[in-house]
Amino acid sequence: MKLKEINRTAIQSWSPAQHHPIYLATGTSAQQLDASFSTNASLELFELDLADPSLDMKSCGSLPSAHRYHKLVWGPYGMDAQGHPSGVLIAGGENGNVILYDAAKIMAGESDVIVAESVRHTGPVRALDVNHFQSNLVASGGNESEIYIWDMNNFGSPMTPGPKAQPQEDIGCVAWNKQVHHILASACPSGRASVWDLRKNDLIIKVSDHSNRMHCSGLAWNPEVATQLVLASEDDRLPVIQMWDLRFASSPLKILEHHTRGVLAIAWSLADPELLLSCGKDSRILCWNPNTGEVLYELPTGSQWCFDIQWCPRNPAVLSAAGFDGHIDIYSIMGGSSQAQSQRHADQISNSFGNLDPFGTGQPLPPLQLPQTPAAPATVNPLKKPPKWIRRPVGASFAFGGKLVSLENARPPQPQQPTSHVVHVSQVVTETAFLERSDRLQATLSSGGFVDFCQEKISAAANEFERTVWSFLKVGASICFKEEFPVKHTRFLFFFISDFWLLGEFRKRRSQQVPGAPGLQQRGGRLQDQDFNFYADFPYNIFLNITIDIKKKISFFSLDVDGLITQALLTGDFQGAVELCLHDNRMADSIILAIAGGADLLEKTQRKYFTKANSKITKLISAVVMKDWHDILKTCDLQNWREAMAAVMTYARPEEFSSLCDLLGSRLEAAEDPQLQSQACLCYICAGNVEKLVSCWSRAQDGHCPLSLQDLVEKVVVLRRAVELTQRSGPAAIGILLAEKMSQYASLLASQGGLSTAITYLPDNTNQVCSTAVSMVRLVQGSPTQFRGRQRGHPEFLDAEIEQIFYFYDFIFPQQLPQNYTPPAPITAPILAPPGADPQAQPMSTGGPQDVLQGLQGPQAPYSGMHQTQLPSQSMNASMPNSNMEGAPGAPTGDAIQPLQSIPAEKIMKKPIPDEHLVLKTTFEGLIQKCLAVAADPQTKRKLDDANKRLEALYDKLREQTLSPAIIGGLHSIARTIESRSYAEGLNIHTHIVGSSNFSETSAFMPVLKVVLTQANKLGV
Amino acid sequence: MVSVINTVDTSHEDMIHDAQMDYYGTRLATCSSDRTVKIFDVRNGGQILVADLRGHEGPVWQVAWAHPMFGNILASCSYDRKVIIWKEENGTWDKMYEYTGHESSVNSVCWGPYEFGLILACGSSDGAISLLTFTGDQQWDVKKISNAHTIGCNAVSWAPAVVPGSLIDQPSGQKPNYVKRFVSGGCDNLVKLWKEEDGQWKEDQKLEAHSDWVRDVGWAPSIGLPTSTIASCSQDGRVFIWTCDDPAGNTWTVKLLHKFNDVVWHVSWSITGNILAVSGGDNKVTLWKESMDGQWACISDVSKGQGAVSTITDTQQNEQ
Repeated sequence: MKLKEINRTAIQSWSPAQHHPIYLATGTSAQQLDASFSTNASLELFELDLADPSLDMKSCGSLPSAHRYHKLVWGPYGMDAQGHPSGVLIAGGENGNVILYDAAKIMAGESDVIVAESVRHTGPVRALDVNHFQSNLVASGGNESEIYIWDMNNFGSPMTPGPKAQPQEDIGCVAWNKQVHHILASACPSGRASVWDLRKNDLIIKVSDHSNRMHCSGLAWNPEVATQLVLASEDDRLPVIQMWDLRFASSPLKILEHHTRGVLAIAWSLADPELLLSCGKDSRILCWNPNTGEVLYELPTGSQWCFDIQWCPRNPAVLSAAGFDGHIDIYSIMGGSSQAQSQRHADQISNSFGNLDPFGTGQPLPPLQLPQTPAAPATVNPLKKPPKWIRRPVGASFAFGGKLVSLENARPPQPQQPTSHVVHVSQVVTETAFLERSDRLQATLSSGGFVDFCQEKISAAANEFERTVWSFLKVGASICFKEEFPVKHTRFLFFFISDFWLLGEFRKRRSQQVPGAPGLQQRGGRLQDQDFNFYADFPYNIFLNITIDIKKKISFFSLDVDGLITQALLTGDFQGAVELCLHDNRMADSIILAIAGGADLLEKTQRKYFTKANSKITKLISAVVMKDWHDILKTCDLQNWREAMAAVMTYARPEEFSSLCDLLGSRLEAAEDPQLQSQACLCYICAGNVEKLVSCWSRAQDGHCPLSLQDLVEKVVVLRRAVELTQRSGPAAIGILLAEKMSQYASLLASQGGLSTAITYLPDNTNQVCSTAVSMVRLVQGSPTQFRGRQRGHPEFLDAEIEQIFYFYDFIFPQQLPQNYTPPAPITAPILAPPGADPQAQPMSTGGPQDVLQGLQGPQAPYSGMHQTQLPSQSMNASMPNSNMEGAPGAPTGDAIQPLQSIPAEKIMKKPIPDEHLVLKTTFEGLIQKCLAVAADPQTKRKLDDANKRLEALYDKLREQTLSPAIIGGLHSIARTIESRSYAEGLNIHTHIVGSSNFSETSAFMPVLKVVLTQANKLGV
Repeated sequence: MVSVINTVDTSHEDMIHDAQMDYYGTRLATCSSDRTVKIFDVRNGGQILVADLRGHEGPVWQVAWAHPMFGNILASCSYDRKVIIWKEENGTWDKMYEYTGHESSVNSVCWGPYEFGLILACGSSDGAISLLTFTGDQQWDVKKISNAHTIGCNAVSWAPAVVPGSLIDQPSGQKPNYVKRFVSGGCDNLVKLWKEEDGQWKEDQKLEAHSDWVRDVGWAPSIGLPTSTIASCSQDGRVFIWTCDDPAGNTWTVKLLHKFNDVVWHVSWSITGNILAVSGGDNKVTLWKESMDGQWACISDVSKGQGAVSTITDTQQNEQ
C-alpha cells in the first residue's frame, strides 16, 4: 500500500533507526535529468508523519547544493554525544567529493550545515556505507578501484582497506558486514565482488561467477549469517540475484530468478532477514525470501523503473522506492487499502479546476467523485509470510483468580530437537501477609480456637486500642466457645474486661491526683471481708471469683471515695457502696442505695442514718435506683463513657442491653474527638452489632488496603460467631455494608488465588449488593463443588450453568422486573414444573423444555438454545421473573428455605448411589443418628442435623462417581473405623485424605465428616 | 510469589502467540503460527485438549473469550486477514461467524464488556478497526473505522462499562446509559481512544508519547474508582500509564512506568486492576504495582512462569 509520495527525481536515505521521528532525505540525482533539464541540485528532508492521512510528506528542511549526488547515506554519528542530534548525512558527489552534513542544522535552516568535505576520490562517489558497529566509520567507493574508509572523528585522512584491486574498475557498491565489524565488501559493475579484512588491511576473497554477464548493481550482506551476501545483476541477459556463501565461494548458493530484466537495486531488511527487496528494469518491485528463493510479495507500482529502493530502518514495514518517473514513493509492505490514493487522485482533479466557486454560484464545488473503476479498490495481498516483526513471541496475561498465563516459545538446546511450545499457568500472590492471616483465620474458624486466636491478637496488638478491642472480643469468644458460662452472663464478663481496664484508668488518674493516700488503702482492705460475705449468696460463682479478684486489686490501689463508691456500684456491690457512703457521711446516698440493696441492708443503713451528706454522684445513684439508663447514657460526659458502659453492663436488663450499648456507641461515633469515635467500636462489640461495627470501623480505616480489610474481617468473624452462638439463632442476617465488605474480602482472596476460601466469605444474600455479582458468579463457577455444598436447598436438576445465569440476572437486574414480563419458557419450565409433573402444565414454546432437560442430564450439560433467547438486545432489558428467585442462588441458605418444588425433583433426577458405596451413606447416617440420640444440648444436635444435610454433597459425588479412587478408599476406611468405634483412628485417616487430596474435590464434605467424627468421639457412642 | 501451578504442553507446531483463560479460569485457549487454535480444559491442574480449531490460513495472532453469559464463544484473528468467531454447541466447537472485511493481517481482537452485548473490536494491519456486533439470528452488524492507524493497528482494548458523569454507584432500576469506548494502538506510534456517539464511532482522544510502534494497549478494569487507567507499550521499550480522573474523559495524564531495553510486546492488567504484567522481548515478564505514593514499582521478574514477589513498602499499610 502506497503511503506517501514525493515529486522528486532523487536519491534517498532514511534517517537512522535511533532517530525519532522518521525522516527521508533526498538528494538530486546526478544520473537523471527531468524534462526541464535543470541541473539545480538540492538536498531536502521530509518527515514521515503517518498520522497524517494524506499522501504528501512534510518538507522539513531544504538546502540548495552545488553538487548533484550519486549516493546518500544517513548515519547516527554524533547522535548520542549531542554533537549532531540528528546524525550526519553523507553524500557522494559527482566530482569525487564526500560531504558530511549535519541533519539537525539542515532542519533548523542554519547555513553552516556542512560538517566536513573531502574531494579525495577521483570520479563520482557511487558507493557509501556506514559501519553498523562504529558509526564514525564510513566506507566510500569511487572510480579506479578507489575505496576509502573515513573516520568522521578524523575526517581529513581516510585509509584504504588494502591495495587496490586489479584490474582497476569503478566501485559500484560497498557494504559493511552486519556481523563482523571489520569486514567490508565492494562490488564493481563488471560483476566482481571483493571482500576486505580491515584488520589485515587486505583483500581476502573475490566473489565472481564465470559467466561474465553479471553486471553488479547491488550488494548486500545477510543481516544474520556473517558469511552470506547477495549480488544483483543489472544485465538484462542475466536479471538475477545471486546469493553467495563465502564458505563456498566458487559458485552462488542460490540464484533468485523472477525479474525479466536487469535488477537495479536491492535492499535486505534488517528487521527480518527473510525479506529482500529488489527493483528492476521490468518495472517490478519484488520482495523475496532469499533463503528459499520464493517471491513473497510484489508491490503494486506504476510502469516506471525504480532505480533505488530502501527499507526504513525504524519502521520495518515501510520502504521507499525512487523511480525514473520523478517520484519517490513510500510503501507499506503490510498491504492494506488504496483508498487514500484514489481519494487523492480525485482531489487533484478537483483542485485542477480550482474548486473555489468557478460558476459564481456562491457555493464551492463539492469534491469530485471519481467514477468507480470496474475493478473495486485494488486490494493488495499482504506478504505471503508474516514478517518477523509482527510475530509476537511472548505474552503473559492475567486470568481470574490471580492466575498469570505466560507463553514459552523456548529454543531447544540442540537445534535438532523440536521447539517446545508450552503455556505456564502461574499463581500470583502479592499479599502474602494477607493470605497468611486469612489462613490463620480460616484455621481458627474450622478448629474453633477463637479464644486462643483472640489471645494471640491481644499479645500481638500494635496499640492499646487494638488490644482493648481484642480483649472485648476474647470475652465474647470465651463465653460462646468454651461454653463454660451460661449465656446470660456474657455481659458480666464483658464487664470483667472493661473493669479490669477501668482499673488501669483509675490507676492513671490516681497517680495524677493523689499520690499515696494510705488511709483509703486501709479502707479498701476492710471492705474486702464484707464483700466476701455479700457475694457468698451471689449465685454465680465464676463471676464471684472474678469480682473478688478485681476487688483485691482495687484494694491495693488507693482511690478516692467517689471512685470507690462508683466502683462498688458498678460491680453491684451495694453493701460496699453503702459502707463507703456512710463512712464519707453521705447518708442520703447510703439510704437510697440501701433500699435498692434489699431489706437487710436498708435496715442496717437506717441505723446509721443520722447525718446528711452531699454527693457528686447522685445522678448515678438515681439511675441505679430508678433503673433509667437511657437518661444517663444520653447525658453522660463522653469522656466518662467507660464508666457509663460499665454501669450499663452491670445493671441493664438483658433485653435492653444491646440497645443501650448501641446508643452509647452512636453517641461516641457522633463525637468530634476521633479517639472517641473509634471507641464506639467497643460499644458495638458489646452490643453484638456487627453491622454498626463494620460501619464504624470502615469510617476510620482505609478499606482498600488488604491488611486493613483483614483486620476488620477477623474481628467481624469472631464477633459474628459469638453473637450467633449467644443468640442461638442461625447465621445472622448480613447488612448491606457487611455484605459489601465481605464481597470485597472474597474478591481480594480470589485475586490471590484463594478461591475456595473466598467462597466461604461470600455473603448469602448478595442480591443486595449488585456490584459483587461478577465476582460471585466467577467464584461460584470457578469451583462448582463448593457451590453445590452451599446451595443445598437448590433443585438438583438445575445445571450449574443455569444457576449461573440466574445469578446473573438476579444481580445485574435486581430491580428490573417488568409487570407484564413473560419468562422465556426454556428456562422457567424446569423450575416451575419439574419433570414428572403434568406435561400439559409446561409452556410449550420455542426450544421446548425437553430440549433443555435432555441437555442437562449430560455431565457437561450446555444450555443450548437458551442463550438464543437471551442474546443481546432483548436479554439486556429482560430479567428473570420473580417466581424464579426462590430457587435462585441469591436466596439465603438457612435451613428453613427449602423450596417445596425442589424435593420431588431431587428424587426423580438423582441417580442411585452405586451399591458398593451405599455402605458409606448408611454408616455415616447411622453414626449421626446414634450421636443425635445421645447428644444432650441443642447446639450439638443442631450441628449434627446440619452435618446430616451437608453430607448430601458427598452422596451426590458418589452418585456422579466423580471421586478419585484414593478418596473413595479413604472414605471406606473411615467407615470401617466407625464400625469398630475407633473414631480417633478415623480422624487420622480423615487428616490423611484431606492432606493428600485436591481441596476442591473434598472441601464440600470432608469438614462435615470431621465434625461428625469429633462429636462421636466426644459423645462416646 | 509467582509459582507455576500448571504447565500446558500445547503441542503446537510453531510459535504460540497468545494464550487466554476463559472467564472462570477453567479453560485455556492458545493460538499459534501453525494456524490452529487449541482449547484445553485446565481444571485442577489438568490439561485435556478440548478442541483443535482449524480454519485459519495463516498464523493466528490472538484469541479472546466472550463473556460466558453469551455461551462459550471464542474469537480468533489471523494473518490470513480473517476473524473467526467459534462457538461451542453441544460439546463441539464450530465456526459461528467468519469476518473477512480486512485487507491485511488482523492483529488484535477484544470483546466489549458484556453490558454492551456481543461486540468485538478487531484491529488490522490495513489500518482499520472493525466492530462486529451480534444482532441475533446469526446476523452480525459491521462498523468499520478506516484509517484508524496508518499502516496498522496492533492492539485494541475496551473500556469497562461505566456511565459518564457518575462513574460509581449506578442507581439501579433503569438501564444505565453506557458509553462505549475503547483504546487502540498502532504503527503510527499513537494511542487512540474511540467513542460511540449516535451509533457512529469517533476518535475521542489521541495520546502521543511513544516514539515507535505501539505494540499493545490495555484498559484497566474498573475497581469502582472514578479513574480510567490505560497501559500502553511500544517497540521503543517504553510502557506508559495513562490516567484520567475527569468524568468526561478528556484530560489524560501520562506517566512512564519503565523504559525497557527491548521491545515490549504485551501488557495485561490483573482482574482487580492493580497489577500490570509486562511482557518484553527475550521472553521477560515483569509485574508492576502502584505504590501508595503513585509510583510504579516492579514487584516481580517472572521467568518460565516463576518468580519472587517483593513487597512495596507501604508505610500506611500497617498503621491503623
